[in-house]
Amino acid sequence: MSAYTALRGAGYRAYTRDRTTLFFTFAFPLLFLVVFGLIFSGQEVEESGRPYISYIAPGVLSWGVANAAVFGIGFTLMQWRRDDILRLIRMTPTPLGAVLGSRYVLAVGIGAVQGVVFVAVAMLPGFGLALDAGWPLALPLLVLGVSAFLAIGAIVGTYARTPEAVAAVANCLMVPMAFLSGSFYPLDAMPSWLQTVSWVLPLRHLNDGVSAALTGSGGLGDIGLAAAVLVAFTAVLGVVAFRTFRWSDRP
Amino acid sequence: MAHPPRSAGQDDGTGAPAPPPAVVLEDVRKTYGDVRAVDGVSFTIARGEFFGLLGPNGAGKTTLIEIMEGLRKADAGTVGVLGTPPWPRDTALLPRLGVQTQASAFFVRLTAAEHLRTVAALYGADHDAAARTLRTVGLDEQADIRVEDLSGGQRQRLAIGAALVHDPELIFLDEPTAALDPQARRSLWRVLRDLKRAGRTIVYTTHHLDEAEALCDRVAIMAKGRVTALDSPNRLIAGSSAVTRLLVPADRLDLGAARELPGVLRADLDGDVVVLQAADAGPVLAAVAEVAGLQGVQTRTATLEDVYLGLTGQTVGEQL
Repeated sequence: MSAYTALRGAGYRAYTRDRTTLFFTFAFPLLFLVVFGLIFSGQEVEESGRPYISYIAPGVLSWGVANAAVFGIGFTLMQWRRDDILRLIRMTPTPLGAVLGSRYVLAVGIGAVQGVVFVAVAMLPGFGLALDAGWPLALPLLVLGVSAFLAIGAIVGTYARTPEAVAAVANCLMVPMAFLSGSFYPLDAMPSWLQTVSWVLPLRHLNDGVSAALTGSGGLGDIGLAAAVLVAFTAVLGVVAFRTFRWSDRP
Repeated sequence: MAHPPRSAGQDDGTGAPAPPPAVVLEDVRKTYGDVRAVDGVSFTIARGEFFGLLGPNGAGKTTLIEIMEGLRKADAGTVGVLGTPPWPRDTALLPRLGVQTQASAFFVRLTAAEHLRTVAALYGADHDAAARTLRTVGLDEQADIRVEDLSGGQRQRLAIGAALVHDPELIFLDEPTAALDPQARRSLWRVLRDLKRAGRTIVYTTHHLDEAEALCDRVAIMAKGRVTALDSPNRLIAGSSAVTRLLVPADRLDLGAARELPGVLRADLDGDVVVLQAADAGPVLAAVAEVAGLQGVQTRTATLEDVYLGLTGQTVGEQL
């Protein structure tokens, strides 16, 4: 068993044996989808005339995937450093690439399962999401989204020293970002200056791209732009994450 | 387990050069701000040696161990571990070292066996290593218990198991018996002695001086970043000026009278006993017998603890 396989296995078991994390990864976003989906069932958004579900489904999917990536790596890094797991890993010949690779593959796997579950629920008769022909393009976008938000989570996990700090910082980032990026209701309803501000948020681009791919709300150009912006976020945040990474809390 | 006992600097008779010592430190220094955590430490640890590092908290033991492990870079001096410098991180050297982690350094929500299998894989150890190590540290019955559900002593043994799983030549243990009850401590002593018998070099820190006396070939006593004594426990005790203590129940001998007894260097009241210190216990004992009788009188000859307290500048009173 290689170090990478072992770490991936350990991470997978830790994940699937943790009901709280499973709830917040899968059930909690679904709750949003179901509640908003039922409230606005059959309604259309005034500004665009499109059904509400085609806003909320890609929005909840993007937010759920981003949230899981940030919280997952944030908690893991904080806990690994606090409990000396990082020290243990550092004292083995395991290359850093195996550590990062195992976490990355886990996060992408979780995002993929989320995507399947959320889209399947949104397509149920009561919700009525209709997939556009371009839906497979959502997959690379979700992978890029996971990458960008993993980098954010890694930075959070590097500076936070307690689970409470991880939760507080990650929520402060993700909850406003979700609303400002139009994850739960259409951005069209927001003042135009707020819509402008939202362009600096990576979730806005993930939302737009996933929405364009799943529901046809935009063309190939929009999807390509979203992908390019997410790559840029990943590159910049990834460098910051690497630069600030610490093996230990002790001086 | 194919590591024959070896000793430093000796030819093994086959013409091959002897392996380098387990650890060679020369004038190692490490400063944090104004604090000289390690202030010019030099010593050599031979292969197969059981080496104890003693000293009060803050003496620099942990920093020194972390320098040997390659987790910290020394500011000055040279460090050789199994013949190579441990800093910067050397992935060829790491599998030859075993490092006990904190008793909380476990992959969450795994069983004891799963945790050890993961650690074994990180070291690239063979497939049966985890099961074998669980037996060594006496946790084979707890193999399928989650790490969170293990008792304190079991967690401690699992953390030691993580240091042994890949069959290392040099093992660093940091207060391995700290959280153990007396029985678990003794069973761990057996594990440690077996490791020594198998030719491993063990470097460990402890606050249990009786344990260091029982297990270690040599001990280094550290205070304020320096090594103040380094020898076998027996030679340290023999070479010290440590006195014999007589403990007399306080209701039978008052302090003033005690100080007047011939041969008494010092007398102190400690709770319900008067503690007499003497270079030669015989005459004092006879004098005590005359004035107070010997019922309930205890004598304490010098131990490593006395040497330790003398060298680290703590008095018995502070320690008690």
